[in-house]
Amino acid sequence: MRNRPFLFTLAIVGYVIMIVPILFVVLSSFTAGSTLSFPPQGFSLQWFEKALAYEPFIDSLGSSLLLAILTTLIALGLGVPIALAIARSNLRGKAFVQSLFVSPLIVPELVIGLALYQQVMITLRLDSFIALMLGHIVILLPYAVRVTGATLALGDTSIEDAARGLGASPFHTFRTVTLPLMRPGIISAALLSFITSFNNVPLSLLLQSREFRTFPVTMLDYVQQSYDPMIAAMSTLIMAGTVVIAIIAERTVGFAKIFGGINK
Amino acid sequence: MSTPASGATASSTTPLSSVAAEFVGVSQVYGSSVAVDNIDLQIEQGKLTTLLGPSGCGKTTSLRMLAGYLAPTSGEIRINGVDSTRLPPEKRNLGMVFQSYALFPHMTVADNVAYGLKLRKVAAKERDARVAECLDLVGLGHLADRKPKALSGGQQQRVALARAIAIRPSLLLLDEPLSNLDARLRVQMRTEIRRIQSETGLTVVLVTHDQDEALEMSDAMVLMRAGKIMQTGSPTDVFTAPANRFVADFLGYENFLDFDGRGLITVRPEHLRLQPAGVPVYAGTPSSANGFVLPATVTSVAYRGTDEIVTVTTADATPLKVSMHRGSSSAHLARLHPGDAVDISASAGDIVSLPAEAA
Repeated sequence: MRNRPFLFTLAIVGYVIMIVPILFVVLSSFTAGSTLSFPPQGFSLQWFEKALAYEPFIDSLGSSLLLAILTTLIALGLGVPIALAIARSNLRGKAFVQSLFVSPLIVPELVIGLALYQQVMITLRLDSFIALMLGHIVILLPYAVRVTGATLALGDTSIEDAARGLGASPFHTFRTVTLPLMRPGIISAALLSFITSFNNVPLSLLLQSREFRTFPVTMLDYVQQSYDPMIAAMSTLIMAGTVVIAIIAERTVGFAKIFGGINK
Repeated sequence: MSTPASGATASSTTPLSSVAAEFVGVSQVYGSSVAVDNIDLQIEQGKLTTLLGPSGCGKTTSLRMLAGYLAPTSGEIRINGVDSTRLPPEKRNLGMVFQSYALFPHMTVADNVAYGLKLRKVAAKERDARVAECLDLVGLGHLADRKPKALSGGQQQRVALARAIAIRPSLLLLDEPLSNLDARLRVQMRTEIRRIQSETGLTVVLVTHDQDEALEMSDAMVLMRAGKIMQTGSPTDVFTAPANRFVADFLGYENFLDFDGRGLITVRPEHLRLQPAGVPVYAGTPSSANGFVLPATVTSVAYRGTDEIVTVTTADATPLKVSMHRGSSSAHLARLHPGDAVDISASAGDIVSLPAEAA
């Protein structure tokens, strides 16, 4: 880096562009004043107290976490076997199946949302939680299939053959060899899925109900009505949560390994 | 489930006790292409047998069928006299070493070697002892706690060997085990594998495309081509008496001659002699019994370090290759040029007769 001044400058500019706006939000959340402004006036934790006491935020945070965790688990539960099938079978039309599971990335989420709204909520009269679950699973599947599949495609099937030769049944081979080999892919797919579900706005806008509201939509609603530092405090809290997850991920698997699954 | 022979159907014929494995009329057909074409083969107990041939000859397919990774389209595979054609790999108790070594990357060297022993419910104490014993056998006792990634290619291969041997397999199968090693290590590992084989008394089947490797290592060689077995025998038998032109060609007999339809003969480049034209030598009727002398013209000279390859053309336009050892014979040969007239001769003992062109 040091002997490449141009690249070094670009990297610095990149970091500044990404981090400075976030820094503004974090700093202004500690303000003692009552308006969202920079620089913050004084230091206080009052907006954090208010944010944590504001029921719609807490409720919707719970809803979003529940939705993200459930849909991530289901998407992986479906995606891992699909990825295995695509990587290991000699089926014809493998490429077609593969692109089928990536296609939700191309379809605008509003279209997926609208389709689910019409079919699931209007026609079938199911509630918004189920519709949201379905919608999120659809948009998470590409990550679950592609990211876990990326680790398998590289994998050498002779490793599994070796386990069989040493006396392992197909299931034992899967449990002791295949699954551990897929682990980095599964973890990165889980993180990406969780983040994608948690941050999703378009589906939630269309499919939410009075009883079930997601966190990003609640934030959006709040900002439209009142523009005070509480929103900054809430953002800061969420960011702190994300940083904790990131640190855990880095300590347990390592970023290079987690996101390596995507590039390779 | 650890005893592979349990529950096997009574086999119709009882082969000799010295046969460890047997292919009976085995074929492997993929659509319209025949990878292995109705082969019969016996693998002798306690011997090292190599399956040798160019790529696509069916040697690896045969090994994979023996290991159980591939079901034959037809025919029967017997292991220790028991029909094992339909047994899955995990019930065959064979130790396989893959070309890519196929070590479990998420386990330490010791755990790799212990994998098969855990499945056999070997008690922890004995397991540790056997892991240590096998790692010592391949000279890697000190690396037991490393992960495979931290090892060199040669070391990984030794781990793969130890892992396969640890389960006390009835056969040890090696799929091109040396092809991913550098040249020096490859030659070193030949003796190493031979040593391990004789120390353990294991029956070994080794697949290779390298004739030097096969000649040096085997007790028995099986030469294959296009799914068929061309010749089976000890290295000396096969090398001194190739059964047909393909085998001869594969083993480095580069000169093929047919004197007036009296049958195809072949001579190795290092067994041909080259003299300046017109120097009188014994001349009888050219045949495999008498030896021959032929006038020829030099077409090229290639320097190869220890020898020179002189390519000549005979009067009837047959190209021949002569290997001239440097320092040996006449010094003036170093000054051969294309266009020079020479006499090529071979003595009767160096001439091998081949059956008529069919193979």
